[in-house]
Amino acid sequence: MRKYRQTKSPDICSSECEVLLATPDELSAYIDKELPAWKRHLIGWHLKKCKICADRVQRLQQTDGFLRHAGGVEVSDDFLSGVMARVSEVAQHQRQHNALRSRVARFIETSFGWTRSLSILMGSLRYNIRTRSPVYIFVLTFAVFTMVGVTLYPPSGDRLAQKSHELELNAEKLISFEVIQPEPPKRLLTTYLQAK
Amino acid sequence: MFVSDEDLMMRCRKGDIGAFELLVRRYQNPLINYIHRSINDYHRAEDISQETFLRVFKSASRYEPTASFRSWLYTIATNLCRNEIRNRSRRNTYFFEDLVEEGEDVYHTEIMRDTRYLPDVLLEKKEQRQMIRKALAQLPENQRVALTLVTYQDLRYEEVAGILGCSVGAVKALIHRARQKMKKLLIKAGIGEERVDEKI
Repeated sequence: MRKYRQTKSPDICSSECEVLLATPDELSAYIDKELPAWKRHLIGWHLKKCKICADRVQRLQQTDGFLRHAGGVEVSDDFLSGVMARVSEVAQHQRQHNALRSRVARFIETSFGWTRSLSILMGSLRYNIRTRSPVYIFVLTFAVFTMVGVTLYPPSGDRLAQKSHELELNAEKLISFEVIQPEPPKRLLTTYLQAK
Repeated sequence: MFVSDEDLMMRCRKGDIGAFELLVRRYQNPLINYIHRSINDYHRAEDISQETFLRVFKSASRYEPTASFRSWLYTIATNLCRNEIRNRSRRNTYFFEDLVEEGEDVYHTEIMRDTRYLPDVLLEKKEQRQMIRKALAQLPENQRVALTLVTYQDLRYEEVAGILGCSVGAVKALIHRARQKMKKLLIKAGIGEERVDEKI
């Protein structure tokens, strides 16, 4: 939206003019009877006293009078007939278009009978969503929150299973340690003792 | 019995071309004059008026009587006028500064060449009319549109604001500035205060 700079008139005659005519545009609005009744009455009362403002209003009225005096052009006789001829052309075209559209719609309806039941189903679904939307929204929100909760905080039964699995793994590690660290062979020990 | 524009449009929506004809009859004169004042070319004004009515008819099926028909009609016409002015400036053809009087104006100028049969007063009035039109054409586009709509089409500021897409305050400012400028242009052209003073 454009903004127009409000300029203050240099020849505001007194403080009363400033109060009544906050902007000089008010005078044009006064001429066009576009001001509220109270303001119009106030300005009318002021114009009786203030010659400068009265003169300005008179000049604006004169300009308006000249403009109105300028007159206009006469419409040619064949204008209406020209417009109506084109309008009837357009109307005929629209009628043909509508007929074609209805024919196509009828063809689709007859060849794809199931689309009718589908459209009824979609209609009822749309109606349900529209009328029961708060319930659907609540259910959807609940489902989403539940899924997020389950992902972040798994249930306790799962935790126990996880713990036992960890214990089993540790036990396996322990066993493997024992296997890896065998006792020193007896033959070596005996040879050592013999050497001593 | 007077039928409102909105009722006629509703009847037209149902396919009543007679109702539309009534609307065209009602608005053909003010619309052509409005467009003529905006673009200053009578033949193009007729074409654009025809186009405006056609657009109204084509979109009649989508018409909802929420806003006044008159505002809607003038909005379409204003947009078409703006397009025309833009196209002209793009084509670098003549514009308001190079006024070429057409249509009825040509008729007037032809008559004025031969002033033997015309009384001086009549000639003076016709000259004055031409000068006023010329002065009006010199106004900036928005000011001219606003002033034309208020002065000749008797539209309310609110309706003009709707057509121009600005606030009522802006319309008030536009009209005041347009009047001020018109006053100066008319004085410059020799119409206005001096003559008024003479009359007084």
